[in-house]
Amino acid sequence: MKRTLTTLAAVATVALSGAAQADVLRMAYSSAPRSVDPYPFGGATTAGYKEHIYEALVAHDDSPLLATGWTWNSPTSLTVHLREGVKFHNGDALTARDVVYSACRMMFKIDGKRNLLTSSMGPLTDVVAVDDYNVRFDMANPYPLWIQKMKFLSVLPASGADVPDGPIQYDAEGDCGITAYPTRDDFENGDAAIGTGPYKHVVYEKEFAKMTRNDDYWGAPAKWDGVEISSVSNSGARFAGLLAGDYDLIENPTAEDISALDRNDDYTFTGKPAWRTMFVVLDVNPEGANGVSAPDGSAPLADVRVRQAMSLAINREAITSRLFGGNATVANQFAPAYRAGAPEMPALEYNPEKAKELLADAGYGDGFTLTFNAPSDRYPGGTRVAQALAQYWARIGINVELNTQPWSVFAKARRAGDMGAFFYGWGHPQGAAQMISFAFASRNKDLGLGSSNYSNYSSAAFDAAMEAWAVETDEAKANEFVADAMVAAMADLPGIPVYYTHSLWAHKADLTVDGRQDERTSAFMVSKK
Amino acid sequence: MLSFVLRRLGQSSVLVLIMSVLVFFGMYVVSDPVAVLASDDFTEEDRIALAQELGVDRPLLVQYFSFLSNVARGDFGTSFVYNRPVMDLIIERLPATLEVAFLAIGLGLIIGVPMGIYSGLNRKKRSTKSISFMTTVGYSIPNFWQALLLILVFAVWFRWLPASGRGDTTMLFGIPVSFLNLDGLSHMILPAVNLAIYKICMQTRLARSGTQEVMFQDYMTFARAKGISRARLVRRHLARNILIPIVTITGLELGGLIAFSTVTETVFSWPGIGKLLLDSIHNADRPVVVAYLILIVLMFVVINFVVDVLYALLDPRIRYT
Repeated sequence: MKRTLTTLAAVATVALSGAAQADVLRMAYSSAPRSVDPYPFGGATTAGYKEHIYEALVAHDDSPLLATGWTWNSPTSLTVHLREGVKFHNGDALTARDVVYSACRMMFKIDGKRNLLTSSMGPLTDVVAVDDYNVRFDMANPYPLWIQKMKFLSVLPASGADVPDGPIQYDAEGDCGITAYPTRDDFENGDAAIGTGPYKHVVYEKEFAKMTRNDDYWGAPAKWDGVEISSVSNSGARFAGLLAGDYDLIENPTAEDISALDRNDDYTFTGKPAWRTMFVVLDVNPEGANGVSAPDGSAPLADVRVRQAMSLAINREAITSRLFGGNATVANQFAPAYRAGAPEMPALEYNPEKAKELLADAGYGDGFTLTFNAPSDRYPGGTRVAQALAQYWARIGINVELNTQPWSVFAKARRAGDMGAFFYGWGHPQGAAQMISFAFASRNKDLGLGSSNYSNYSSAAFDAAMEAWAVETDEAKANEFVADAMVAAMADLPGIPVYYTHSLWAHKADLTVDGRQDERTSAFMVSKK
Repeated sequence: MLSFVLRRLGQSSVLVLIMSVLVFFGMYVVSDPVAVLASDDFTEEDRIALAQELGVDRPLLVQYFSFLSNVARGDFGTSFVYNRPVMDLIIERLPATLEVAFLAIGLGLIIGVPMGIYSGLNRKKRSTKSISFMTTVGYSIPNFWQALLLILVFAVWFRWLPASGRGDTTMLFGIPVSFLNLDGLSHMILPAVNLAIYKICMQTRLARSGTQEVMFQDYMTFARAKGISRARLVRRHLARNILIPIVTITGLELGGLIAFSTVTETVFSWPGIGKLLLDSIHNADRPVVVAYLILIVLMFVVINFVVDVLYALLDPRIRYT
């Protein structure tokens, strides 16, 4: 009996020390990943979670990942060369057939509803496996953006579905002659949660997910034995969980949390300039804008001098240093200046005196009335910035009424075009051109331009540059077109850039965080000191 | 009794109908699911296609009547956000809410009622005064702030309990529950206590005022004159007579806990239905919000009905004809 007990104790000790040695990284997200299935949903936390398990042809920084490179056959045809020797978690080798299957799965409508990431596929008409390691993408229109959009196409193994033998014939409905795709349950219980990523799926319960290291990973092995992702939407509770030792790292701490860390040696924080540009959208329609009125009945925002005055009135330096404690960067254009492909632009001036003169020149020396809209629950510190902007404009004589509302209400009003001036943030995997191509270009259905042009801005120079950019497959030339468009937009100011956000992580002091621009939180960026 | 039941059913279906109209039209007016779901790189064509797939491009009345006819067939619709049947989403999260709600209500009854009777019987004692002081404090602390205090004290300072999340679950008849294993239980304590504090204070006050009232009734004086022991007096004559308001309030509070523990569930990241409701309102997920509130109305109807039946059991004078 005594011996049994001793043995048991020994076993328990071994088991316990084994558990202690396993390096498990426990992270807390600010919202729950919506699905294990990589296609139906976008959003930073869903994307951040799934990239542990699945990989795409292109990495988050536009470098090749499962691809080794690509060749444009013509402006409407791209051949992508696949990496050899990559294995899925189920042991299958990655081939071009899996990429075609994944494209089919992306287009497949689940219960008649398209996946929300489907829009990234743009004008793609065909996906063909040329041989095992080459896959060709054909397009209806030139679509150079596909290089960047490929990162949405997580690659799944074709063996996961009932695929008939022989080549898969892609079609835009996602039917592809495939009788049964894996269901949501297959993904959530792990049967279909198979990718090529550095971590393997263990458990997914929305607010809690667990992964383990993929020992057969093709690249550098993962740094952690396991990863646990909890989701805590309340920022106070998230921070408390960190201090309570429940988590090693949390995303999106508040400014108050950060200042509390100053007095704590066990924890620290890491910031990283992110891809989101915060800006003001102004409706430049000469017939007038909603919520904007002048005593003489004219449309103040249609006058470029008024827009310049509004930009000159803003002390961006004060916003980033006072409201964000330095955890934000002053903006000088409609894309983070530090992002690849962003043109060189001069800094924006702060000069309220000059702003008043410009307003007087434009005939609004006695000011005009402006309703400024901002979402109340969308951007960290966003409401305070909106208040600051309203005050800056009030100082140059504009009668500003600030209207903050919940995101779901704000988003409806934005889409309905009900807001003449509003505060917005735009960050996306595509480079510097992505935002301006949507927000300021004239509508062009074929090239996918101008879908969010709530400024009603229309400029021949800007449109010409954007239309040339949309079909340019040469990166250097494309960047020149972006620069031309940016110069035009910054001269006309259909919106006013204010600042670029920073992503923040609070974590244990013995961890090093190498953050990314794309607002995602992943185990790849965390290592022990 | 049968006509009573039928009348109740009639009333509640009118209630459900009014509720569905209010929520359906209210959600339509303030928010647009397409605008919330569509990411910034959606083209206008993508948005129109999405609206069609969600069925929100149709006129509002058409949407409402197709919703009603689906509900009549037992189909509460599909979540815009998760693309899953709404009932699945709610049922999946119900156990987490129920176990915390019942624990909180149980704590309220077990601690609050005896404390109330005690302070009703011993009105002049110092301990009664401190109980009265504590209930006043417990009543007036805002729920979310109390939750953060609990986290700060028990999770951050003492590190006795986890700050948030649900922890491990055990399967009981195919339903995941937390109270059957240590880790799950430790996750349950803080949210349950946070909900229970208010309930304890309320039950204490109800029991105390009931006790004070009943103790001076003629039948109590008579019972005492007969020489009935104090213990029997409290158990048989007092407890039964103060139970009616307690049962009423407990029923309503249970309903309230199940339906609207949103603040506690959010702060503790407890994956219950209250959090689902809040997230769905944020995401303009109308089918979830509408179905949720209809179910809540039905639940209150059932709870009130059970309370009425309990009245009859507790007080022989009450009859439903």
